Amino acid sequence: MKSFVLGGLFFLSLLPGFAQSNSFTISGYLTDETNGEVLIGSTVRVEQINSGTVSNVYGFYSITLEEGVYDLHFSFVGYREIQKKVKLDKDLRLDISLMLSDTELETVVIQSDRMDENVSSVEMSTAKMDIKTIEKMPAFVGEVDVLKSIQLLPGVSSVGEGTSGFNVRGGTVGQNLVLLDEAPVYQSSHLFGFFSVFNPDAVKDVKLYKGGIPTRFGGRLSSVLDIRMKEGNNQDYDVAGGIGTVFSRLSLEGPIKKGKSSFILAGRRSYADVLARPFTDALDNGAGMYFYDLTAKTNFELNEKNKLFVSGYLGRDVFNFDESQGFNWGNKTATIRWNHLYGSKLFSNFSAFYSDYNYGFSFGTNESDKFDWQAAISTWNFKPEFTWFANPSHELTFGGELIAYRFRPADATIINNGELSNISLDHRKAVEGALYVSSEQKFGDKVVAQYGLRFSYFNHFGEKTYTYGDTLPGIERPLIGVTENGSWNSVAQYNNLEPRISVKYSLNESSSLKASYNRMSQYLHQISNTTASLPIDIWQPSDNNILPQTGNQGALGFFKNFFGNRFETSAEVYYKWNQNQMDYIDGAELFINEFMASQLLSGKGRAYGLELYAKKNQGRFTGWISYTLGKTELKVDGINYGDNESTREGNWYPTRYDQRHNLKLAGFYELNKRVTLSANFSYLSGTPTTFPTDRIIVQDKVIPYIDGSDRNNYRIPNFHRLDIALTIDNVWRGKKQRKGTDNLVVSVYNLYGRKNPFSIYFSQGTSTRPQMGEPLATSAHQMSLIGTLIPSVTYNFKF
Amino acid sequence: MKKLIVFFLACLNFACDTEINPTLNPAAEVMVVDAWLNDKNETQKIFLTISQPYFDQSSPEMVEGASVSVKDLSSGETITFVETDAYYGWEPGDEAFLVVGHQYQLLLEVDGKAYTANAGLGEVPEVDSVQFTYNPKDINFKEPYFTAEFMANDIPGRGDAYWIKAWKNGVYLSKPSEINIAYDAGFSSTQTMDGVLFNQIIRKDFVNPWDENPEKENSFLPPYVVGDSLYLEIHSIDPMAFEFLSGVILQTNRPGGFSELFATPLSNVISNIYPVSEESSTKVQGFFNVSAVTSGGGKLTAAIAETAMNAADD
Repeated sequence: MKSFVLGGLFFLSLLPGFAQSNSFTISGYLTDETNGEVLIGSTVRVEQINSGTVSNVYGFYSITLEEGVYDLHFSFVGYREIQKKVKLDKDLRLDISLMLSDTELETVVIQSDRMDENVSSVEMSTAKMDIKTIEKMPAFVGEVDVLKSIQLLPGVSSVGEGTSGFNVRGGTVGQNLVLLDEAPVYQSSHLFGFFSVFNPDAVKDVKLYKGGIPTRFGGRLSSVLDIRMKEGNNQDYDVAGGIGTVFSRLSLEGPIKKGKSSFILAGRRSYADVLARPFTDALDNGAGMYFYDLTAKTNFELNEKNKLFVSGYLGRDVFNFDESQGFNWGNKTATIRWNHLYGSKLFSNFSAFYSDYNYGFSFGTNESDKFDWQAAISTWNFKPEFTWFANPSHELTFGGELIAYRFRPADATIINNGELSNISLDHRKAVEGALYVSSEQKFGDKVVAQYGLRFSYFNHFGEKTYTYGDTLPGIERPLIGVTENGSWNSVAQYNNLEPRISVKYSLNESSSLKASYNRMSQYLHQISNTTASLPIDIWQPSDNNILPQTGNQGALGFFKNFFGNRFETSAEVYYKWNQNQMDYIDGAELFINEFMASQLLSGKGRAYGLELYAKKNQGRFTGWISYTLGKTELKVDGINYGDNESTREGNWYPTRYDQRHNLKLAGFYELNKRVTLSANFSYLSGTPTTFPTDRIIVQDKVIPYIDGSDRNNYRIPNFHRLDIALTIDNVWRGKKQRKGTDNLVVSVYNLYGRKNPFSIYFSQGTSTRPQMGEPLATSAHQMSLIGTLIPSVTYNFKF
Repeated sequence: MKKLIVFFLACLNFACDTEINPTLNPAAEVMVVDAWLNDKNETQKIFLTISQPYFDQSSPEMVEGASVSVKDLSSGETITFVETDAYYGWEPGDEAFLVVGHQYQLLLEVDGKAYTANAGLGEVPEVDSVQFTYNPKDINFKEPYFTAEFMANDIPGRGDAYWIKAWKNGVYLSKPSEINIAYDAGFSSTQTMDGVLFNQIIRKDFVNPWDENPEKENSFLPPYVVGDSLYLEIHSIDPMAFEFLSGVILQTNRPGGFSELFATPLSNVISNIYPVSEESSTKVQGFFNVSAVTSGGGKLTAAIAETAMNAADD
């Protein structure tokens, strides 16, 4: 109750003073003239007050000024600036279309904001990646990838190439909120992580929040990856596609009613299985490995005040050993959004979306002996949000979120000699709600603050409540009792207040200091005890045994641009401290276990680091360098307890994804108008792993033993890799009279063929059968997921 | 599951494994107890050894001068094990010492320190039969091949655990990947399958050895050819021993390659050996278990092979 009252008071305190009576508002949408795509984060500058505003994620801007005559400058990186002189004596609607500037067309656009955005904006700890940049980067088997590209930015890493997900500032993969047009995507990987599920042909904008996370986002501790899809060209029809080594892509976009509504439809499918079929009979029995995704979006401008967007995604991975055995997983999302303007100062958006992630596997060669497991998490969400552009120095955002979840941890059956056993687990339901408010306010010329509060609430409904007793930490907790409830009985409910604040102080035109603090809470937990996060990991809602994870982060940053914004640099430090971080007892049985909570451990986490970033934005050579010095640790009773045998109080240990040094270089060199050479280089400290000290022999098995039950006491060797790509534009199309553009991308991944280790494991010498009576061999092995250079060629076209 | 992982290995040929020689922290050299008794009429052996540095490939040093006994907590009877140069042994007489349903306690005394462990003797089902099946060629076996399968039913009542050991042509299938354990008729205490025929994976997957074909990469020798035989034993085990062996599988069955994505962090397996006095800080590892044993077997004769081939044709 106290938190409600506190929250209410806080909300009231944010209300801005009412503007003077003789002021008027200029508002409208900023779009690309050639295709009608809205421009996110483009700048509107008012010369007379030397201040302005930035368009929101729907391309909308609004600015309120006193009566008078003003010169307005509309700009966006890579586009020609438009100037307008306006006489403001009434509210004005001004929709502006910007044109691509020819000179910029060929250069790589690294950041799609106004040139000094990094210095002037109050946002810190964010990273944007323009799809044009992503498309120029060398990529694994030539398939450009949104998730792999953001790993070239500071503070972002992964446990190894080809693994699923990414880690942000020492957080787990499950602590990232990945949103595709606002709908959460629970599994962002194809092929266990070699590719991401986002089709670059349909992606418009990618923004990662690592810290200073706005109040509109919640539910995960570490980061928010906000991916926005293209709306589709509302002027002309476009067909684009690509033929690659693994995928083929095709997309179609165009107007439904010119200038008013449009659609985009984009699909991809891997075709290794199709190509291999004529050459091997191994696939004849139904075996196959393929993945596909389909992305669609349409939008309608109903009138000046109303816009409607409908978008959807469908993707699936299938790995079949034969027709009845194999893995599969896939996401489905659907989003409906309605933008509505109340007058010219109050912008609103109502989103309703559905997201479903389902996955499973089956084995058993005949109908009378089979195992089948399917799991799913479904989400229904309604999210109203309002932005009030009070005056040029004050903007207020408020809204709410209501999410309903259904968890199906296991719909599983075993057929044993024709007899069916159902080993399914109960479905669970939960509701998560949030109310939030955020205010962005300028205090004089130098200080901008964005501050707000999010109140979150979680209620888990389940048919059974499990109670476990206490035991020595690290040992399975004994079941005390199971209470049978009605199906809508609340098992546990929680709420949290999450304050967020970011402040910017301008030192001068080209440099600023920024600071931020955010508190986050997370009610869903990705259960993963494996080296890499997997597509078949289940998601567990908080209950009476599993408390919500909470986290705090403070960050400080210095931002400086040189030579008229041609060089951008930044330095940030962060410190994070988290509660209720999850780990597992040794030998935990997490798969189809009704009593899984008895095997979970909970502890504290901390992460801290320094991120340095410098990039060159213009010229024939562009690129960036990113360096992170970081540390991330956990302290969990029952793990890594050393000599504390009696209490088993844990000592701090590095997480699996702890990397001390993380250096990334990306460079693009325009050899001539048609040919660009690009390269990226990564150097990462080895991730921690556990090495044994002893071997013990029981029943002719050599079992590794770790003195003191140490966790992550060694590191695998450092990782480094160089990739290069050559992009040749207008190979066939674009020449002579042919319409459209095309390019050919020749790339080499892992140019010097380094066998970068993914893991080190210890085993009995298993290649030959051990002979009875002879001492058993023991050995250590280093495994590399990719142990060679991988060349590839991709052809992309658009007409 | 195993098949799927092997399948991935074949699909993702980017991966590669290299043997390395890292330097490890010094060995703790703890006492290891290997006390697995059964009701077979043969010498019962308890091994007391000292753990070695992980890469030390010699035979482990024996702990000498210990006093070792096992007590039947239900009857009160105690048997004493006699030290030999390799183990502590006890010769069963005409009358059985181990009785199904009884609880047993291991008592050790080494250098004035006492250790103890408990285990119960569970019931064990009979092996009904061993059968052979003819299979068409597939991704892993480039020619048609025979597989073996045994038939046996779990003892009714929840909480039975078994270890099924197999020998092909007299050679014990002892690889970590061939450890075949069952909890009731299924794979774990949380997935109930009680009193029915063992799951097919238990009946079949582990009694068919997957030995790489030295002449052809990414393929395996046929598990059984005409003339081969399978002999197997079902050992009832204490439910704690099931947990122990599950841990052993996790920590030792590391085929490498793509399956490393699925690997869990290296950690110690459980032990049921405890010092008698609380203040004793001596570290001890290992396991004590008692088993009742049944056995069965079969030979793939030309006649059986022909019947199997005909059955496959139908």
